[in-house]
Amino acid sequence: MNFEAVIGLEIHVEMKTKSKMFSAAPVTYGAPANSATLPLDLAHPGTMPRLNKQAVINAIRVCDALHMDIDREIWFDRKNYFYSDLPKGYQITQNARPIGKNGYLFVKSSNGLRRINITRLHLEEDTAMQHHFRDYTLLDYNRSGIPLMEIVSEPELHTGLEAADYLDKIRSIVTFADVSTGKMEEGSLRCDVNISLRPVGASKFGTKVEVKNINSISNVAKAIDFEIKRQAQVLIAGQAVAQETRRFDDSLKETVSMRMKTDSVDYKYFTEPNLVPVRLSEEFIAAAIAGCPDLAEAKYKRYIEKLGLSEYDANQLVASQPLCKYFDELIGFGANPKAATNWLSGEITGYLNKTNTTFEQFPISSSRLAELLKLIEKGTISNKQAREILEHMLIEQTSPSVLAERLGMHQISDADALKTIVAQVLDENGQSIADFKQGKDRAFGYLVGQVMKKTGGKANPGLASRLVKEALSRR
Amino acid sequence: MEKISIAVLKKAAHTLLLDMSEEEYALLQSEFDILLNQMDLIGNIKGIDDSAPMTFPFDVTTESMREDAPQDPTPVAEVLKNTGHVYADQVKLPKVVG
Amino acid sequence: MNYLDMTIVEMHHALIEGKTTPIELVREAIKRAKEDTNNAFELILEEQAIKEAETIGEPQPHNLLWGIPFVAKDNFSTKGYPTTASSNILNGFIPLYDATVIAKLRELKAIMIAKATLDELAMGGSGTTGHRGPTFNPYDRSHQRMIGGSSAGSAASVSAGIVPFALGSDTGDSVRKPASYAGLVGFKPTWGRISRYGLFPFAPSLDHVGVLARSVADATIVATAISGYDPNDATSSANPVPDDLHLVTSDVSGMRIAVIKAIVNSPHDKVIKQKFELLTSELKQRGAQVDLVSMRRDLLDAIYPIYITLSCAEATSNNANLDGIKFGPATWGATYAAAMMAARTKGFSELIKRRFIIGSYALMRENQAALFLRAQKGRGMIVAELKRILGHFDLILVPAAPSIAPRFIDKTDKLSEEYLIADNHLVLGNFSGFPSMTVPLGLKEGMPFGVNVMAKAFDERAVLKLALAVEEVTGLKSLMAKGGDTK
Repeated sequence: MNFEAVIGLEIHVEMKTKSKMFSAAPVTYGAPANSATLPLDLAHPGTMPRLNKQAVINAIRVCDALHMDIDREIWFDRKNYFYSDLPKGYQITQNARPIGKNGYLFVKSSNGLRRINITRLHLEEDTAMQHHFRDYTLLDYNRSGIPLMEIVSEPELHTGLEAADYLDKIRSIVTFADVSTGKMEEGSLRCDVNISLRPVGASKFGTKVEVKNINSISNVAKAIDFEIKRQAQVLIAGQAVAQETRRFDDSLKETVSMRMKTDSVDYKYFTEPNLVPVRLSEEFIAAAIAGCPDLAEAKYKRYIEKLGLSEYDANQLVASQPLCKYFDELIGFGANPKAATNWLSGEITGYLNKTNTTFEQFPISSSRLAELLKLIEKGTISNKQAREILEHMLIEQTSPSVLAERLGMHQISDADALKTIVAQVLDENGQSIADFKQGKDRAFGYLVGQVMKKTGGKANPGLASRLVKEALSRR
Repeated sequence: MEKISIAVLKKAAHTLLLDMSEEEYALLQSEFDILLNQMDLIGNIKGIDDSAPMTFPFDVTTESMREDAPQDPTPVAEVLKNTGHVYADQVKLPKVVG
Repeated sequence: MNYLDMTIVEMHHALIEGKTTPIELVREAIKRAKEDTNNAFELILEEQAIKEAETIGEPQPHNLLWGIPFVAKDNFSTKGYPTTASSNILNGFIPLYDATVIAKLRELKAIMIAKATLDELAMGGSGTTGHRGPTFNPYDRSHQRMIGGSSAGSAASVSAGIVPFALGSDTGDSVRKPASYAGLVGFKPTWGRISRYGLFPFAPSLDHVGVLARSVADATIVATAISGYDPNDATSSANPVPDDLHLVTSDVSGMRIAVIKAIVNSPHDKVIKQKFELLTSELKQRGAQVDLVSMRRDLLDAIYPIYITLSCAEATSNNANLDGIKFGPATWGATYAAAMMAARTKGFSELIKRRFIIGSYALMRENQAALFLRAQKGRGMIVAELKRILGHFDLILVPAAPSIAPRFIDKTDKLSEEYLIADNHLVLGNFSGFPSMTVPLGLKEGMPFGVNVMAKAFDERAVLKLALAVEEVTGLKSLMAKGGDTK
């Protein structure tokens, strides 16, 4: 019996606005416990919510990127339930009128791109953080009230790979739109999987299992792959799949039962009476969309068409928003695009891998690195010298020009000075000249190398090369 | 309308993380009788089911929203000064499972 | 006459002219508060009030509230001062911020001398359900009569002459009914006029901040001073607050006044009925047009169940934050749920729990359409009907209550079969958000009773005009439950 998996993803995106969804407390990450709250975040009596404009703008931008219908009025509901991390005993969310509906995006599937429909996108607020110990739990309300966007797909995905691609595309959108840091490992991007199996061709849905606590995109794919196998085994054995919630165990790379799903909880939704409905004018929506930073697709296009980068290089860049941002800054400071991509994918990626750090931790600012690249381009220093300067820049905040000065590195770009040296080298290497004339190109490189050696590496390689060539043609 | 059972009332109470004495549940049950009869009067309103539910008393739709500017947070000591059980600058409660 | 017994304007003049000082007023008010036997106070702020009076600074001739003592219902958040909403679940709770109205009065240098008792969490109409027990009506020295609720202590403190005004809250009639029982002016402006930021919520779509005072002018002065858009309250109105209400006169000629037939025909104490009829003929004499108007019976009959359904439902949700975990008396248990359940079971009175369960029941998925949503629909229809009436009239005028303050033995807060439209119509002002004011009408056996005036949204001007006229006609102003000065 062949089964097909029916998968829907429920994604929560934590927004990196400056203040929270309904409270003006600052949005922080990793701040000392309970140091970023206001009374509303602990549900003090009499406190009242105030809607964050930027959160709405962010939601509009993402709705637009997902081709959604945007509701012209914002209404909120109360989702009522008791839990330790929910200070008010209800969450303010959008049940009846999500800000976005009926969207879609395309994912890579086994036979090309496939459209996946997106049911809804709505605004809500995050809960407090819990730290569990043996006999007690501790609550930190810094996260309580941080703006969240919930994005729910139709159950139209079929494989772990498709789901990973869907998630990756959402991550790309929310990071490029500057709405979120989009990091599953930090919890600013969360994904719950709803998955059921049914015989191929059947129309009725099988029993749905929910999988939570997945901390990376690749693990989402692994969790799904595991679930498909597991559920298939259960069904093949003639048993019923239990309707339950499972969590992904990162070390076993398996899903593990967490709790049985009882009849769905009754949240007693009703319209939030402390927030009046907000009307979104056409101008406001248009301005929000127009003000959105370029998304990956647009950047990719620009890199290819305007900056002449290769598809490979462009793809490398748009795979990471922080990398893209840094690159754009380098270009903004006047660096050469090709040189910039080479350095980013070469030296810098090498450094990050060696030190096992991420891009955000890279100690050299884009303006400083751009300076360095411009020195190379002007011919003031060679690539080799630049690499040496880079080593210094990684550990001290000094400008490349000052470092070049200090290290006594100035390329010899004076043609006359070099000509003398070139002549000397040719005089000393008659055999190489003969070899070159006989078609041995390697001799040419050797001669240029000798010029570099005689100048202690300071000769401008391009110039040295040209002069050697000229000199050879005259001999 | 059927008489609400004490079991239903207990369940409703427990969902609200409340409990009452047996006498109170009995009293509530009789209050419910009265109340549900009263609520039938709402059903008697002519045309009730064709009208729209009202949350706000008049049109209060606005275009204004709060600017995304953070305010100074409450100092930690203040945040926790009303809390019964505190540990490591956090609110302490019995171990939460599930 | 003690300066503390005067109207706000008179008190103000006395202060500016140096005839008295804030310290004198405050000391007198505190003395009276401490002598109070009506159980009007949760907390008397003696030290703090005296300190404020001592450091108040220079007199402000253009600020009518400078140095004036007042009392706030104990469901207004007051920074640094315990606030309990008369519920054990908030025993010892000390708020971190001031409600907007408290901050405004502080800025105007009015001096808060105490927090007043209320029905627990403002959910009651008898003034008997607060955790300190019943509050008595100062007009009955034998302490057999209630003052109503939920703003019981606020009403008691003003009618006993302890302060010239008090802040209350009104969700179903909680300022305007006690005003009737205590010979006071009880004013509830339009919904959104006064910020609710810092008012512990009962039912936000029905809650209003209200003022209790001994004259129409006093109530208006205070209400105006604390009105205005507040960015902290998203539901507060950006409609500009008129600054010329002090110029409104009692000239009601040409005003069209509607008296709702079913309400006046509903059983009333004979004395009240008579006094009401005298009032309406006097108003006619003064050039007002007063007509009996019909309002749909099916809507009137549904007022009470709609109110109970909506208010209990919102209340259940609003008070879900009271779990003993973040604040309130410390709690523990085998699980977090047990800890919360222990706090809530112990901290709420039985009455409140029953209300929460009713509210929760109405919101349950299987009941919501038939109960909660229907009640919301009913509200919509009632408001439409009121708008229809006020499309042809400027004001609605009706007796505020069918009787004088009931005796405790005659009334409880348990739900009862008895339903009098006359007893439950004030909530029309909450359903609609329309401005509504209770003004004294007369006395029977030494116990006051009042009349209620309501106009369209944001038409406080019309309410004021008619209220001033009523005050003139009855001659009842500055009533006080003390020896000597009551009329």
